[in-house]
Amino acid sequence: MFDYEKYKTPRKIVLLLLALALAGFGAREFTELRTMKETVVVSDAFTKMVMLSDYFPPIKGTGVDTPVYIYDSGVPGGSMFYLGGTHPYEPATMLSAYVMMENLKVEKGRVFICPHANMSASTVGMLGNAYPKFLHVETAFGPKPYRIGDRNTSPLDQWPDPFTYVHYPSGQNLDYTDARNLNRTYPGRPDGNLTEQLTFAIMELNRKEKITLFVDAHEASLMYPVVSTYVAHDRALDMAMMASMMLSATEFPMKCEASPKNLRGLSHRDAGDFCDSLVILMETPEPFIDRVAGKITEKLMMDGKDEFLQTAAEHGLLFTDYDISVGCPMWDRVGRHLSGALAMIQQMNDFLMEPEKELQLSFPNYSDLKEHGLGHFLNDPAKADPAKVFLN
Amino acid sequence: MEELLRVSNEIIHQIYFVLAGLCGLVLLRGLFSRNTRKTIVYDIVYAYTIIPFLLRALHIK
Repeated sequence: MFDYEKYKTPRKIVLLLLALALAGFGAREFTELRTMKETVVVSDAFTKMVMLSDYFPPIKGTGVDTPVYIYDSGVPGGSMFYLGGTHPYEPATMLSAYVMMENLKVEKGRVFICPHANMSASTVGMLGNAYPKFLHVETAFGPKPYRIGDRNTSPLDQWPDPFTYVHYPSGQNLDYTDARNLNRTYPGRPDGNLTEQLTFAIMELNRKEKITLFVDAHEASLMYPVVSTYVAHDRALDMAMMASMMLSATEFPMKCEASPKNLRGLSHRDAGDFCDSLVILMETPEPFIDRVAGKITEKLMMDGKDEFLQTAAEHGLLFTDYDISVGCPMWDRVGRHLSGALAMIQQMNDFLMEPEKELQLSFPNYSDLKEHGLGHFLNDPAKADPAKVFLN
Repeated sequence: MEELLRVSNEIIHQIYFVLAGLCGLVLLRGLFSRNTRKTIVYDIVYAYTIIPFLLRALHIK
């Protein structure tokens, strides 16, 4: 019979030291993700960078305060507010914001770009999903690193979660983790939890800057019906319909759906209801987040080729086209967001027909990325004017 | 009123970090001086479960 009393104290000390060593390894990984900074080289059209807390000071100094980059043509016109990284585990959204920021030219109107709408969520990994911490985009000057974050605000910044998240102002009961989900807390409230305050700050920017077009970029799993889709608020629905038809005819299949009236807290519903902007949400196919996908690796994130998804496609289980010989590469998903935003701007100009709301700009589209690749449109921070290099 | 609610929120937030630290200390006490379940399996469980509370209390994860 084993005598557990024998050498019990040294045994426990050894086990405690082993646990502390494991904690140390884990802490190094978590800290690396939380402190890593991405670089962006802004284009010549860049005017200034402000913090979101400039629109709602109480979030200043918190983990959710985030930079907003402004490109002002100086010519009165319309405006667009582009949100990347609402859910940082959908990184094509943040990369599309960066490609926009590095290549944008504005002839008329103003553009506001926030590459990390939920900065806090971008500094923590997905719990339990064994996601890689970073992805790297191949460029002429070497691989450029970016973070792969979580869906929700980090518990280090907002904690504990309630048993049920009660959405404000509708009172609808949502999943408890949605208390930290930026895209379930619209329109936000000034005295709410930190994520609700973040949402309120975004809405304050929309209202104070009188934003014409508010674009919330997302990625979706291929087994989710709302993939490769515009989801449009009522006022933007006709434009989104036209944009989806135009994109489907010229570049890639894009669906369009009307924002449901009884699903609360989402940008395409409650942002549209509580400000005057035209609001759309865009979804691209992200094979990385499907439950049936195989090993979750950086390679899968970048090329989107997965044999299990191919099998699912052959059984008609996906809601978007999928062919493993092509996959869903990152350039494709970033290009979809870029062309998706351009198509909406074009339709907005055509539909509104109001010179004071017209927006004239250019940045690379889907075809450009298909021809040259994603890395071609990212600049080398080491060779750029330091005044144009920003850390996020 | 809004400022009071925000400060209250932050105080509650910090209290939970302190509680995480206290949970870690309770588990540490359980590892070294418990009177039941004295096998090595429980030693491993007590030692291992300290990790998340430690990382939370130190504002790491």
